[in-house]
Amino acid sequence: MMTLDFGLMVQALPLLLQGAWLTIQITFLAVLMGTIIGLFLGIMRVSHNKILSGIATVYVEFIRGTPLLVQIFLIHFATPQLLGFSLEAYVSAVVAMSINSGAYVAEIVRAGIQSVEKGQMEAARSLGMNYSQAMWYIVLPQAFRCILPALGNEFIALLKDSSLVSVITLEELTRKGQLIIGRTYKPFEIWIAVALIYLVMTLTMSRLVAYLERRSKNNG
Amino acid sequence: MVKVENLHKSFGSLEVLKGIDSEIALGEVVVVIGPSGSGKSTFLRCLNGLEDFQAGEIYIDKIKLHDQKTDINEVRAEIGMVFQNFNLFPHMSVLDNITLSPVKVRKQSKNEAEEIALNLLEKVGLKDKAQAYPGQLSGGQKQRVAIARALAMKPKAMLFDEPTSALDPEMVGEVLGVMKQLAEEGMTMVVVTHEMGFAREVGDRVIFMDEGIIIEQGTPEEIFSNPQHERTKSFLSKIL
Repeated sequence: MMTLDFGLMVQALPLLLQGAWLTIQITFLAVLMGTIIGLFLGIMRVSHNKILSGIATVYVEFIRGTPLLVQIFLIHFATPQLLGFSLEAYVSAVVAMSINSGAYVAEIVRAGIQSVEKGQMEAARSLGMNYSQAMWYIVLPQAFRCILPALGNEFIALLKDSSLVSVITLEELTRKGQLIIGRTYKPFEIWIAVALIYLVMTLTMSRLVAYLERRSKNNG
Repeated sequence: MVKVENLHKSFGSLEVLKGIDSEIALGEVVVVIGPSGSGKSTFLRCLNGLEDFQAGEIYIDKIKLHDQKTDINEVRAEIGMVFQNFNLFPHMSVLDNITLSPVKVRKQSKNEAEEIALNLLEKVGLKDKAQAYPGQLSGGQKQRVAIARALAMKPKAMLFDEPTSALDPEMVGEVLGVMKQLAEEGMTMVVVTHEMGFAREVGDRVIFMDEGIIIEQGTPEEIFSNPQHERTKSFLSKIL
């Protein structure tokens, strides 16, 4: 009968938490940039300008149609050939995750914009607002409210997917776990500890999203 | 004030306006009636560029709406529009609904805009609702706020697209009352409506539209008491 070595799990905790902190950092940055990218792409997708919506569509289809792992490799190992210098693993990780998340956020934003009643845009335009003003003051705030749950899911998925950047030797949570296992030969304990830490982080995030949702609902 | 010449509009292969000619004088209240699908709402929406059109000319105060170079936003700022479904902004208070455009488009100061907004709310009898959100208002109250919101831009003309059609019967009166008051103050108005009582009492001219053309027009007296055209007669007999 195999028993869990809890002592080892506790011992490994400080190192794992170091990794978790890095996971949080890169996820936070990727969420931030992914949201900005996604916001612009989402607006471009609903644009009447065929070129703008075309660019956004190609971006979204390309990113969604290829694995994040391959995108990480592309950014990390192909950019040195293109740019003549190599990116730090940290930078590659954030860039790849931002680009990836941007595509998914773009689709969420597009759906959100299209869910806002057409009359809202018309009313804003009839009051003399131009397209951008109507978008910014009227359509997007309403779209945001209805896409908050979907955005939350996307960011939780992103946090979990960040484990993939362990392949470019960035010592985030998953990579830290691998390294500790390499030294201790105790994969079971460490992977359980790693999984639990991810769980705590995702649960915290989903609580946070639920809170934001409640708050935005109360607001009128 | 408004001049429309030979206006044609199609949605795909469906032609909904087949050559509309009309002129609306300053201070005139024109009521547009007709069966649903007659193109009356589309005609109204063309007047402030919410719909584009394939042929014809629209002049608003000498500005050519059909000219690509015309800044449509400037034209719209001069023409208020009230919709059947109110289209208040649900995420903003009543006061913010009214002040947003004056502040962002007219570049009024927040204080100035709020003062004007409160005066307008008083005029439509809703001063105590300034801080309420649209979701807390009845249909009639929403529509009165929508009228105040349009008036805050100090428009030269107001367009009403079936403003009472989405209201419970007991709320129709309060909205028509506000519109009547506006008309008496000399506002130029184009009203698409099924409220024949309003057309008769407030309208200077009634236009009867069917199948994308103006069948006949005249004073309310002429149209309601002595319609010339068969289709006008049959329409009026069905609704009066």
